[in-house]
Amino acid sequence: MESDTQRIALGLRQRDVAVLETLVEQYQYRLVRYLVSLLGRRDGVDDFVQETWLRVLERAGSYDGHSRFEPWLFRVARNIALDAMRKRPMFSLDSNEEDGVRSSPASGEPSPYTLAARTEDAERLAHSLQTLEPVYREALVLRFQEDLSLQEISVIVGAPVSTVASRIYRGLATLRPQFEGEIA
Amino acid sequence: MNIDHHEGFQRMIDESLAGAISAEKEQSLREHLSTCATCREYLSASNRVIAGLSGFSFEVNPTLHARVLAALKLQAEQVPAAQPGRRRLMRQHNVQFKVWAAFAVALSMSIVGSALVYQVAKLLTVPMHFDTAQVQAGVLVFWLLPSFCSALLLLAAPGENRGIA
Repeated sequence: MESDTQRIALGLRQRDVAVLETLVEQYQYRLVRYLVSLLGRRDGVDDFVQETWLRVLERAGSYDGHSRFEPWLFRVARNIALDAMRKRPMFSLDSNEEDGVRSSPASGEPSPYTLAARTEDAERLAHSLQTLEPVYREALVLRFQEDLSLQEISVIVGAPVSTVASRIYRGLATLRPQFEGEIA
Repeated sequence: MNIDHHEGFQRMIDESLAGAISAEKEQSLREHLSTCATCREYLSASNRVIAGLSGFSFEVNPTLHARVLAALKLQAEQVPAAQPGRRRLMRQHNVQFKVWAAFAVALSMSIVGSALVYQVAKLLTVPMHFDTAQVQAGVLVFWLLPSFCSALLLLAAPGENRGIA
């Protein structure tokens, strides 16, 4: 029996517009959220989202449907964002991390996290999240928002599982003090 | 209870949240949490962080969806449907063909070359005082075997070492 992922792979290869529409509908918001976590800014993300979908169509043959679609999609998005960061001076590449991802929110603009906070806990996290190293923020979002496994995240970011786990620990360690000393 | 003891279990809490903990460690952590308020507080603060991450809602430009679909439809119409791995398969076949062709040429040169060398070497048997068996052994050891091994190496070497991309 054909699985959902195999149906997606087949639909992409056949350039089935109905499949594309369903995928865009299903993953658009998650793509935006992931790219914001990677870039630390909201402006420019829409262009990356569009480029990502076009690249998905262009590289349709390389998704075989044997694994989940999300990791493959996020990896495509990440490559596009990193390429753009290398090419465009508006995005900084300066980083002490091994893969060169660093956020660069435009000066004077409110943080995307401040604007997007909808709960009290989110409001408390907004500033720390904005200043968190992008690789840690990315790892936290992929693990706890996208519910991806360490192995899947490892494939997306191109780093060993141990590195991914370490980024999650460090990300949590940076944000945890916001809630320490309180009874939940 | 000392600090190191808590740190060990707090590390396990991190591992548990990240999905990197073994079943035995998880069990040991659960038992510890039932008796340790410090580590429970650590877990609670961690869970608040994770819950806080879900408290963000980014606005999506209402025109983005239509814009993306329009671009996708345009591209889908322009570019013919991808065939699964066809290009890669063709490239592999092409590489294999080149390798076998190179091997066949090398083998032919090895055999033809050996025959020629043997003919030349036979002419030298008289002035050099070699007998026929010595000439045959010389051609075999110093020409035929090395050239044949070189041809075989073509098959064994990885693609990039053969200069075939």
